[in-house]
Amino acid sequence: MKNSKFGMSLLATGLFALALVGCGGSKTDTSSETPAPAANAPAGKSVDPATAGEVTGTVKLDGAAPKMKNISMAAEPSCAKEHTTPPASEEVITGDGGTLANAVVYVKSGLDGYSFPAPSAPAKIEQKGCQYHPHVVAMEVGQNIDVVNDDQTTHNIHPIPTVNREWNESQPPGAAPIEKNFAREEIAIPVKCNVHPWMKAYMAVLSNPYFQVTDKDGKFDLKNLPPGTYTVVAWQELYGTSDPQTITIGPKETKNVTFTFKASAAAGD
Amino acid sequence: MPELLPPDDPVTSRPMAGLVLISVFLLMLTVAWSLYNEFFGLRPWRTYQNEFSKVYSKYLDDQYQGRKAAEQKFFATPEYQKLLADVKTATDSARSMDQQISQQMDLLDRQRAAMTEAFQTSRGKVGALTYQLEQIDEKDTSAKKSKLDELNAAKAETYDVMWPVEGNKIEPRKFIYQQLNDLFTSIMTSKAKLVAQRGDLDKPAKDAQDTLNDYVKEQLPGLASKDLYTLSDSMKNLDIRLRQINVNPSGTSINNLGGAGLVDRCQSCHLGTDPLLVPVTMTLTKADLGMAKDNDAPYTSHPDPDMMKSHPLEKFGCSPCHGGNGRALDTVEKGHGRYEHWLWPLYYPENFEAGCQQCHASDMVTEHAPVLNKAKQLYREKGCIGCHRFEGFDNQDEQLVSAQQAITQLENQKVDDRLQIAQLNKKGDAATDNATANNYYAEATNLTVTMSGIDAKVDSLDQRSHNLLQEIKKVGPDLKEVRMKIHKEWIPYWIGHTRDFRPTTKMPQFRLQDDEIQAISAYLWQSAITGPEPPKQTPGDAVHGKVLFEERGCEACHSIGEGANMLGGDFAANLSRVGEKDNYDYLVRWILNPRTRTRPYSPFEKRDLGPEDYAKHDLPFVFDLDHSKSPDDGHELMVQQPTVMPSLRLTLDDARDIASFLETQKHADASYASADFMDDPKLKQHGKELIQHYGCAGCHEISGLEDEGRIGTELTNEGSKPIERLDFALYTEDAKLGVLPDGSKSPRGAWYDLKGFFENKLTDPAVFDHGKYKPDPIDRLRMPKPNVTKEDIDALTTFLLGSTDPSLPAEYMYKPADQRAAIQKGWWIITKYNCIGCHQVDIGQKSVLMGLPQFQGENKQNLPPVLTSEGARVSPEWLKGFLANPALSTTDVNRDGVRSYLQVRMPTFFLSDDEIRALVLFFEAMSSQPQPFIPQKLTPLTTAEKEMARQLFTSTSAPCLKCHATGDPAHDKTAIAPNFLFAKDRLQPAWTERWITNPALIAPGTAMPSGLFKRDGDKWVFSGPLPPSFKGYTGDQADLLVRYMFELTPEEQRSLLGRTPSGGGAGK
Repeated sequence: MKNSKFGMSLLATGLFALALVGCGGSKTDTSSETPAPAANAPAGKSVDPATAGEVTGTVKLDGAAPKMKNISMAAEPSCAKEHTTPPASEEVITGDGGTLANAVVYVKSGLDGYSFPAPSAPAKIEQKGCQYHPHVVAMEVGQNIDVVNDDQTTHNIHPIPTVNREWNESQPPGAAPIEKNFAREEIAIPVKCNVHPWMKAYMAVLSNPYFQVTDKDGKFDLKNLPPGTYTVVAWQELYGTSDPQTITIGPKETKNVTFTFKASAAAGD
Repeated sequence: MPELLPPDDPVTSRPMAGLVLISVFLLMLTVAWSLYNEFFGLRPWRTYQNEFSKVYSKYLDDQYQGRKAAEQKFFATPEYQKLLADVKTATDSARSMDQQISQQMDLLDRQRAAMTEAFQTSRGKVGALTYQLEQIDEKDTSAKKSKLDELNAAKAETYDVMWPVEGNKIEPRKFIYQQLNDLFTSIMTSKAKLVAQRGDLDKPAKDAQDTLNDYVKEQLPGLASKDLYTLSDSMKNLDIRLRQINVNPSGTSINNLGGAGLVDRCQSCHLGTDPLLVPVTMTLTKADLGMAKDNDAPYTSHPDPDMMKSHPLEKFGCSPCHGGNGRALDTVEKGHGRYEHWLWPLYYPENFEAGCQQCHASDMVTEHAPVLNKAKQLYREKGCIGCHRFEGFDNQDEQLVSAQQAITQLENQKVDDRLQIAQLNKKGDAATDNATANNYYAEATNLTVTMSGIDAKVDSLDQRSHNLLQEIKKVGPDLKEVRMKIHKEWIPYWIGHTRDFRPTTKMPQFRLQDDEIQAISAYLWQSAITGPEPPKQTPGDAVHGKVLFEERGCEACHSIGEGANMLGGDFAANLSRVGEKDNYDYLVRWILNPRTRTRPYSPFEKRDLGPEDYAKHDLPFVFDLDHSKSPDDGHELMVQQPTVMPSLRLTLDDARDIASFLETQKHADASYASADFMDDPKLKQHGKELIQHYGCAGCHEISGLEDEGRIGTELTNEGSKPIERLDFALYTEDAKLGVLPDGSKSPRGAWYDLKGFFENKLTDPAVFDHGKYKPDPIDRLRMPKPNVTKEDIDALTTFLLGSTDPSLPAEYMYKPADQRAAIQKGWWIITKYNCIGCHQVDIGQKSVLMGLPQFQGENKQNLPPVLTSEGARVSPEWLKGFLANPALSTTDVNRDGVRSYLQVRMPTFFLSDDEIRALVLFFEAMSSQPQPFIPQKLTPLTTAEKEMARQLFTSTSAPCLKCHATGDPAHDKTAIAPNFLFAKDRLQPAWTERWITNPALIAPGTAMPSGLFKRDGDKWVFSGPLPPSFKGYTGDQADLLVRYMFELTPEEQRSLLGRTPSGGGAGK
C-alpha cells in the first residue's frame, strides 16, 4: 500500500518538479543579519577617590583566649636554634583589651558592578624558623603570592583548598620563591608543611581589594570604598566567620565597626 | 421514407471537452494531493531536515561571527604576533641558509660533472693496468716491471678539466689520477654533509610552527571561522535526502530486525548524530539550537562522543542499542517502534542503558553506563539475587551443591566398587582354573586403581569446596545464631516492621499476617543454635568506641545516625538502633571477627558440628580456614560466617569499646512486647513451611534449610519475555488504556509492556493481586516489597529490559579475551567486598570515606591510598601476600602492614585463593602490566654511589626520613608515609621513580610534595643543595635514590638514623 502511494507521488513529483523549480523554487535566504560582535564583558565601574569613604574598626575576642601550646621543633634542629624560647602555636593571638590578631576582615557583598583587576605586586609568605610569616595572608583572586623559604631545611607548601586547585611543592633551602595564584574566592585555605607538621598557615583569597588581616591590635581600615551599602565580615581560623554586619557609607564617610568573637564558641577545628 | 441514420457517432456528435476538463481537474487534484503527501504526509523527515538546515545554519552563523571576532582579537595579540614573527624569522633564516646550501650543492654537482669524464677514464686505465699486473706470474719479474712502469705512467698522466669555481667562473685545471680520486671523495662527503645540514635547517622553522599551532589550539579551541563558514554554507544547501546506515554483520541478524542485516534510517531526522554534519569535535545541544522544549526535534549530537569511539555507527547503527524500528520513517511512533506489533520499542530516556546490557551482561561495571552499574549493585545488595537467579551473578552456593552432589556420587561409586572388588576376589578364589582366577584378580586390581582415581577427584572437589565455602556470602545475617545474638522480643517486631525500624534496610517487607510472623519467629528461635556461647565480656569505653568507629573506617560500609544526620555508606546496615536488638557479648565477638562461627556446618552431613562431634575423634573443638576438614569424614566444612564483613584485626579492648558504643545506639523509649509464642513447639513446623514458601533462606543461613534453592524466576533473559507471559491480571485493560493502578493517567500512555510491568511490580509487588479473591495468604503473590527509590526502580527496570536472549551476533557480545577480561572479572570481587567504600580504584571514582567529615581538608592525608596505579606500583607477588594478610605479620596484627600510621584499617577479608588471583590480575590489567610479571633489574650501586645516596637521604634538604616511617617508635609517631624497607619487595622501580619525581600526577592531593627533582637534559637532578660527594656525578639522581631504596636493608636504615645530617648546603 505504501508502495503504491510512493509510486504515485513519485510520478506526480516527476511531472511537476520542473515547473516548480522553474518557478523559482523560492529558497529563502537564511543568511542571518550580522549580530553584534561578541564584546568582552565591559570593564566594571571604577571607584572615584573623591567620594570614597572607609570602614575602620577592631576585631575583639570576648573572654579569655585559650592557652597556646608550645611547639617542639626538636625534629628540626636547624629551626629549633632559630628560637631562643620555644615558639607558641598561633591559633589565637590577642593584644591588650582582647583585640584579636590574624582575623581577616573583608567586604563580602555590596560591590556588584565594580571590577577590580588583581594587583601586580605579589603577596608574600615566608617560612622562617619553621613558622609561616605571616600566619594568615590575604590576597586577591588572580594576585600572585610568593612563597619564600628562609630556612636551612626543605619545606613543602601544601595548600588544601576546597574550591581552588590543590598543589603541593617542595622548596629546598636557598631555592627561588615559588610563585602561585588562586583563581577563585576562598576564605580561607589551610596551608601546611607535611615535613613539619606543626607548621600551619591560612591563605585567604578575596574577590575585591577591601580586606585586611588584623595585627595584635585588632585594628583594620578598609580604605577607598565607594559610597554604598556593604556586608562586612570577619573570619578567624578558630572562631570561624562572624555574623555579617551591614554598613552604609555615604560620600567621604568613615564608619567604625567592631567584630567580637566569643571565646567560648571555638569550633575546635 | 425515413433515412436510416447511423447511431450517434460519439466522435462527431458529442463534444469531449467536459470529460477532458473533469479528467484534467481530477489529475490536477491527484497531483496536488500526491505532492502534499510527498512533502508533508509521507515524508515527515523532509520537514525535519529543512528545519535542521535552518536552525543549525543559524547556530553556525552565530558561532562564525563570534569566532571571527575572537580570531581577529586573538591574531592582534602581541603573544600571537610574536609567535608568528618567530615562525617568519625561523623560516627566513632557514631560507637564506637554504639558498647558500643550494648554491654550494649546485657548485659541487657542476664540479662533479666536469671531472666525471677525466675521473672515469683515469680510473678505468689504472684499474685495468692494476688487474693486468696482478695477473702476471710472480716469477716473471721483467714483465711485472714493465707493467708497473706502465701503471705509474697512467697514474702520472694529467687530465685537463674545465673546473667550475665559485662566482660562476670556470678555470682550466690539470689533475692526475690520485687528485681526481681525492676530489671525488671530497665532493661526495661535502654533499652528504650539506644534505644533513639542510634537514637541520628546517627544524627551527618547523618547531616554531608547532609552537604557534599549539598556542592557537590552546587559546582558541574548536573549529576555525573558515571551517564554520564552510559548514554553515553547506548546511544552507543541505541535500534533503534519506540518510541511512547499513550494517551487515556475518551470521545472524541484529536485534531480530530481519535476516538482511540492519538498516537504520534514524539519521534522516536525527541529523545531529551524523559526524559529517556535526563534526565529532563539536557538541550540539538543544539549547544551542534554541530548542529547549521537550517536544522539540532532537537534533543534538550524540551526548557521549567518547563512547561512540568504541561503538562506531558503521558497526552498531542506532537501533541495536536504543531499540526502535530503524527502517520505519512514516511517523515518529513507527520509527521509534512504539506500536503494538514492534517487539523492540525505543527505550525511554530513563532506561536507555538497557541497550548496553544486551552485550555487557557479563560486566559488573560497564564504562559509560552508571545506571546499569547501579542496578547490578542493587540486584546484588538488595538481595534480588537471593530469589532470582541471574547468569553471571554469584552462584557459589549452586556450585557448592553440585560439588557436594558429585562428591556423594563418587563416594557411592566407591562403596559399590569396594563391594565389587570383594566379590571379584571371592570369585577368583573360588575359580576352577588359574586363568579364570587371574582374570578375576586382574579385574579387581583395575577397579582398585580406578578407586584411587576417584579419591583424587574427591580431593580436588574438596579443594574447590574449600574455596566456595569461603566465597559464599549471604545478603542477610546468619539466623542460626539469633538466639545468641538478638533480643528475642525484637525478632517478630522486625519481621513485621523492617522499614519502620530501619528506613534504609535492604530487607524487603513481606506481606505477612500476624500468625505467619509468629510461626516464622518461632521456627527461627527454636531451630537456632544455643551454644557454645560467646565469652562473657566486661563493658568497654563507649566514648573511645565512637572514636574508633569513625577512625577505623566502619562508615565506608555502615551508616550511622538517622534521617538527615545519617553519615556513612549504604553498603551495609545502618547501625543507629543496634543497641535495641543485639546482645553485647555476641557483638564483641562479631566486631572482633565477624567470620567467627559458633559451630562449623558440614554440607556433606547437612548439619552443624559441635564439640561432641570433635570429642568423638579425640579432637579439640577447633575449626578455622586452616582446620576446615570434618573430623567425621574429612570433607570441607563451612568454618566462617557467610558475611562479606571483614575482620579489622582489633584488640579485644577495642572491640569491646566499639560494641559498647554501638549498644548506646538506641531509642530511649524503645520497648518490645514479650514473645512467648516463640517457644511454642506447635508453631515450629508451620514456621518452617512459611520460611520455605517465602524463600527466606535465599538471603539468610537458616538451620535445616541450608540447601534451599532460589524460589523466584530466573531473570537472565527477562527482557525477552513475551508480554503474554507477564500477568497484568485485572490491570490488563487499564494498562492498555494507560490508566495506572492508582487511577491516575500514565504520562506515557499505554503501559502494557515490559517496562510497565517491571516498574509496577517493583513499586508494589502485590499490585497484580489486586481484585483477586485469595482467602489463603499462601496463594497470594509472595514477592516482598523491596526498599527502593524511584531511581532504583528505573535502574532495575533498565537492567531487566536489557537482559534479553542473546540474539545479537557473538562478536557483538563483550567477552574480551585480553586483559580486559581480568578487569571484567575483578570488578565482581571489588564490588562484592566494597573496596570502593575506602579506595579510589578507578580514575574519577569517589570512595565513601572521601565524603565523610573526618576526612576533609588536611585530614585527607588520613584516607586510605588511591589504587588507580596499584598494578604499576606494586609487585603482584607482594600484592598476593598483602591481600591475604594486610597486617604483613602473623603476630603484630593490630595495624596496617604498610601504612602503620593510618588509623583507618585495611581489614582482612579472608579471600579465597581464586579471589586473590582475580584481584591481583585485575590491578595488573588496570595498569596494563605485561603478564607474567618479571621484576625489573636494577644496576647495583657502586660504593661511591651508595655513600652519595646515604648523604642525600640524611641531608637537611631531602626531607624523606621526616615523613617516612623508619621503624624507630619515637620517630614513627609522627610518620605519615611508608617505611622505605618495604620498597624492595613491594614496589616497582619504574613507578617509584615516577612517584618521587611528580607524585601529584599519580595521586593529586597527596602529602608527598612535587618538585623534589627537576629535569636537567634527559636526567632528573635533585632540586635542593647537594652533598659535596655529588660533585661531578653525571648519573640520574632520582634513579640513584630509587636504586638505593631498593637496596636498603634494616641495618643500613639503622645506620642512617644514627647519622648526623650532612649539611646539605655545603656542596654548592
